[in-house]
Amino acid sequence: MINLENISFDHCIKCTVCTAYCPVARVTHLYPGPKQSGPDTERLRIKNPNLLDESLKYCNNCKRCEIACPSDVKIADIIQNAKWKYSPKKFRLRDMLLSHTDLTGRIATFAGPVFNFFTRLFPVKRLLDFFLNISSKKTLPEYARGTFHHWFNSCRSTQEDYDTRVVYFHGCYVNYNDHELGKDVLCVLNAMNIGVTLTNEKCCGVPLIANSFLSKARRNAAYNIKSLEKSIGGTNRKVVVSSSSCTFALKHEYPNLLEMDTSTISSHIEYITSYICKQFLQKNIPDMKPLNLTAAYHSPCHLERMGGVIYSVEVLKRIPGLELKLLHSECCGISGTYGFKKEFEQIAQDIGNDLFRQIKSLQPDIVITDCETCKWQIEMNTPYEVLHPVSVIARALSGNKFDLTV
Amino acid sequence: MNVDCIIIGGGISGLTCGIRCAENGLSCAIISAGMNALHFSSGSIDLLGFHPGKNIVFSPFDELNDFIHSHPRHPYSKYGRNVIEMALSYFGDQVNLKGLELFSNKQNNHFHVTSLGTLKPSFLSQKSVFNQHIMEAFQNNPGIAIINMEGFRDFYPEVVASNLKKNSLFNRCKIVTGSIQLPDSMTGLKNNCNLRSIDISRIFDMGSHIDEIADQIKKIAGNSKIAGIPAFLGIYNSGNILSRLCDLTGLFIYEIPTLPPSILGMRLDNALKSRFADLGGVYIAGDRVKKGYIKNNRVDYIITQNNPDTHLTGTFYVLATGSFFSGGMISESESIKEPVFDLIVEYTKNRKTWYSHDFFHPAGHPFFNFGVNTNDQLNPFDNSGKTIKNLYCSGAILSHYDPVTEGTGGGVAVSSGYYAADRILNHS
Repeated sequence: MINLENISFDHCIKCTVCTAYCPVARVTHLYPGPKQSGPDTERLRIKNPNLLDESLKYCNNCKRCEIACPSDVKIADIIQNAKWKYSPKKFRLRDMLLSHTDLTGRIATFAGPVFNFFTRLFPVKRLLDFFLNISSKKTLPEYARGTFHHWFNSCRSTQEDYDTRVVYFHGCYVNYNDHELGKDVLCVLNAMNIGVTLTNEKCCGVPLIANSFLSKARRNAAYNIKSLEKSIGGTNRKVVVSSSSCTFALKHEYPNLLEMDTSTISSHIEYITSYICKQFLQKNIPDMKPLNLTAAYHSPCHLERMGGVIYSVEVLKRIPGLELKLLHSECCGISGTYGFKKEFEQIAQDIGNDLFRQIKSLQPDIVITDCETCKWQIEMNTPYEVLHPVSVIARALSGNKFDLTV
Repeated sequence: MNVDCIIIGGGISGLTCGIRCAENGLSCAIISAGMNALHFSSGSIDLLGFHPGKNIVFSPFDELNDFIHSHPRHPYSKYGRNVIEMALSYFGDQVNLKGLELFSNKQNNHFHVTSLGTLKPSFLSQKSVFNQHIMEAFQNNPGIAIINMEGFRDFYPEVVASNLKKNSLFNRCKIVTGSIQLPDSMTGLKNNCNLRSIDISRIFDMGSHIDEIADQIKKIAGNSKIAGIPAFLGIYNSGNILSRLCDLTGLFIYEIPTLPPSILGMRLDNALKSRFADLGGVYIAGDRVKKGYIKNNRVDYIITQNNPDTHLTGTFYVLATGSFFSGGMISESESIKEPVFDLIVEYTKNRKTWYSHDFFHPAGHPFFNFGVNTNDQLNPFDNSGKTIKNLYCSGAILSHYDPVTEGTGGGVAVSSGYYAADRILNHS
């Protein structure tokens, strides 16, 4: 029996516009494009799962097909679901290590600098390439020592003094890799007279979804929803998120792809620049000093998909002395864990090449983007430092950071 | 979020309006749900193609006054011939600024070849589709070659040739057909059957192997003077590729519009969006305006699907959401609705009167004429009949015109978008 509720693919009118805007189909003819891998073959798969076409593994879940679709078909969701539902279940250690960020993060932050030292050694890269199919051309992200969550204990009491407080969902990247971004968020919000609390969180699920660990993603989602409900506690308190893809997961992937009920938290969740932008509009603007920098701004795919780019741009425009150049909207190629995989590494590079060329021709002082994996990809392929919009605001605040710890 | 002008709908009409507003210093945001209908269009702009009853119009501007007189509720009648003329020339100039040249046969229509080998009257076409040289060459009964790419399934040169031969203009021309082959190294594929016009365009954009391809075209063309080829000669680099092919073959090569995704439409779309961005306009793609709220005969704010908790406010609003296909209007079993503002839609009450039983009926289908009614300033009416003062409607959502039967689709989109901007600039 065909489940009649799941027929959104039937709204597809076969116009092929999604394929025209698919970054993967642009660079490789091995991928027939989102129309064929999504709505076209879904009608075959629901009749007989053996009709699965392997080529849908090339989808990098950037969601640009959904932005392009004039008929509101959730093309990327159909593909992710099909990958999980119909692909033969094979355990791959590599996919598990790349996607279970809490597990990898906890081990790596325990070892901290030692882990970073080893993953940068060429022989280690070759071994990872040979045994795990993690491309040796890519450098694994750096890990911090200890977690952000643990560090936050040292300044928890200072945050309680603020009348207005928001819940900060920091995500794995801030927790395990880059405490500085988390500190910048605190710094900027504090400068706007807003305090921060944390919640108990697990990985939002974006890498799990991309690597077909959907049951694990659902378990994490249930945990996060419950934990955020508790932190909101029936008030109108906002939850701000500094990673664009985490925001996308909490707001869109949970209800649409994972079919979770997010009605209690959804209207509270806000991407950080959207929250800051609204504060700016209410004249809550911190004192910023001119930066005298030229910056190229790259808009991440998932932020585009949820309509958040305008807020980041609006906030950046308010920073004095920042000459902002908007890069043509294109996928950088890395797509989370996709570009680290040996079999997709070349595709990821080919997708990003136009973007890298654009950046290099602009010769900016810095590149700004909202997404941590876009940041890694751009830093690996251009000589520029890549910053989150909030970190740029933090730099403009009185020159140097507040001392947050007491 | 607050801007001077919020445009709902990012098609040809919304973009024309946005460019004109932004050029005059207004801050503009366009919100677009999915890619626009240019991706399904021929990429030519028609102004007035047919008289009622399907007689072809040769000089639209000569006939416009009569047409306006006999169609008092037509969008053209709201602003008249002068605005239409200014709008089309403005549109051509804006696109030209981004390197895309449009051809107009002075004040007359020209006739470009379709992928079925019929001729279609149009007012503006890209120069790769029609230009002065081709127009002159066609007058001397030249040999014509219709050329395809081996394996490309969206184009059949034999069909084009046999239909062209039926046309008295070409029955003295020798028409040959044939297919060129891409060097294997360019695709890495065993066969090219999966390639669409967009894939082939990307291959051409790289600009390699052009000499080889030119040789193949020359062989097929033989003694022909003119060669028609599907519009897949590149998106960004097409002008350069085409002129190289013309030089190398000594032929007048022109492009024939293909099935979606339309490369010619995408070129126009790129040019318009890039012009809008140059002027500081913000284009929000992939978001749908869920609802607009009206207070004291003015739009107060709107909300979108992606950010339902955020009120977007503008001084002026433009509704350019298109017709049924793009969701500008929604047809239910017995009624038709405009989903954003719940504006009054003009339609006949009995569903059986919405369409003609003959698909190709010369009078067309009545539902094409359905749409939002506006006053002469393009302001629509809310469901209690009151004018909404800061809202303007433009493009395919307008009532009382039939883009297909009249051949007025592009003309109305461009001119009403231009005129909406005109009204806004007049008030600000």
